[in-house]
Amino acid sequence: MKQTDRPIANPIVVLREEFDDWAVLFNADTAAAVGTNPVGVAVWKLMDGKRDIEGIVSEIKNSFEDTPDASGEEIAAFVGILAENGFVGMEQDSN
Amino acid sequence: MRTPRSLTIEITSRCNLRCRYCYFFNNPEVVYRDLPTDEWLTFFDELGSLGVMTLTLAGGEPFIREDLPVLLEGIVRNRMRFAFLSNGTLIDDEIAAFIAGTGRCEHVQVSVDGSSAQAHDSCRGEGSFEKALRGIRTLQRHRIGVTVRVTIHQHNVHDLENIARFLLDDLGLPDFSTNSAGYMGTCCVNADEVLLNVEERKAAMATLLRLTEKYPGRISSSAGPLTDGRMWRRMEEARAQGKPAFHNGGRLTGCGCPSNKISVRADGAIVPCNMLAHMELGRINHDSLAEVWQNSPDLNQLRTRHNISLAEFEFCAGCSYIPYCTGNCPGLAYTLTGQVDHPSPDACMRRFLEEGGAIL
Repeated sequence: MKQTDRPIANPIVVLREEFDDWAVLFNADTAAAVGTNPVGVAVWKLMDGKRDIEGIVSEIKNSFEDTPDASGEEIAAFVGILAENGFVGMEQDSN
Repeated sequence: MRTPRSLTIEITSRCNLRCRYCYFFNNPEVVYRDLPTDEWLTFFDELGSLGVMTLTLAGGEPFIREDLPVLLEGIVRNRMRFAFLSNGTLIDDEIAAFIAGTGRCEHVQVSVDGSSAQAHDSCRGEGSFEKALRGIRTLQRHRIGVTVRVTIHQHNVHDLENIARFLLDDLGLPDFSTNSAGYMGTCCVNADEVLLNVEERKAAMATLLRLTEKYPGRISSSAGPLTDGRMWRRMEEARAQGKPAFHNGGRLTGCGCPSNKISVRADGAIVPCNMLAHMELGRINHDSLAEVWQNSPDLNQLRTRHNISLAEFEFCAGCSYIPYCTGNCPGLAYTLTGQVDHPSPDACMRRFLEEGGAIL
């Protein structure tokens, strides 16, 4: 098994979407929680192990208007923070 | 908030003890009936789908349920964490090992009301002190977080120094919290023998304020003499110096619970809080919790309670502390006055002073 560069959301993590456009990711195993905005929620939902960061950034640019030039770096940093805290892993390649 | 973030669930109406100040028993408006395992598991599935994060399991005594491991598995399966409110007496190695194995337990709160069996057992029954300590040590052995709640009453109010030393120094707990017996449930029946009088309240406040200096950050409270002592000191300073109203002062802002959590009784009735157990908002597995949370008229009315000015109440007429007062707990307001939308007389600083109390 080889680790890919395709992030996949930890299935134990709960996404709580609230009325006022913010959301909470909650890791029930560690009790860690992260607040995020609608873009973060969209990124979270795209981390299905089938897309790499570039693919996720591309989807976000298609879904949101006026995404800034730095959005790719910001999304990569966001995914990195989630990975460091056990919210996200990298898909394993079975080949 | 689309759904509650946490719930307090009374998973049983049974208890092996009959504490003389228990808020839970002897409430004529509550049905004391337990739900079968399947009903709770179905409800936990709903909570999982709503993104609820934490359940506090209370009772009765939650460890009395024989199916507790099955219930905990249902909670874990639905990606939630849990905590317990317990008397500690039924905790053994088997259940402690199971809880530790889930990795999802926030803590177990055990009630300890004395530094010795004499003070503790006076209200909780003979032998309960030793069993509670055994429960605490079992939890510690399994590295499960233990918190202790000390409920202050007539029989332990003069034991607080010893209690602090026993819990923090001898048992090595990081901290503990305090409250006092309140006029609810069984306590109403035994009020004369349990509730603190003004002199005892004054003594409890003085001792606790002193102990918080001796043990910085290790003694807490969200109600009772320590909270009153701190709050009333601030209120008296503000009044004496003519300071502007506190940001939450002058209105019924004493309870923020309905904005992020909700409770379920042992019989499955959804209620705003265990302290407002009469106020049925719906029933689990019959009513959608999200629907109740978002649209219950009673719950939404409770959420607007903070708009009610204390100046509207005859009870508060002429009080110079109004700009700094929050009206405190609606649960105690209800049991003492019959009205939820009323300041709690128990937390009235003016009344306390008129009856001989003093701000320390």
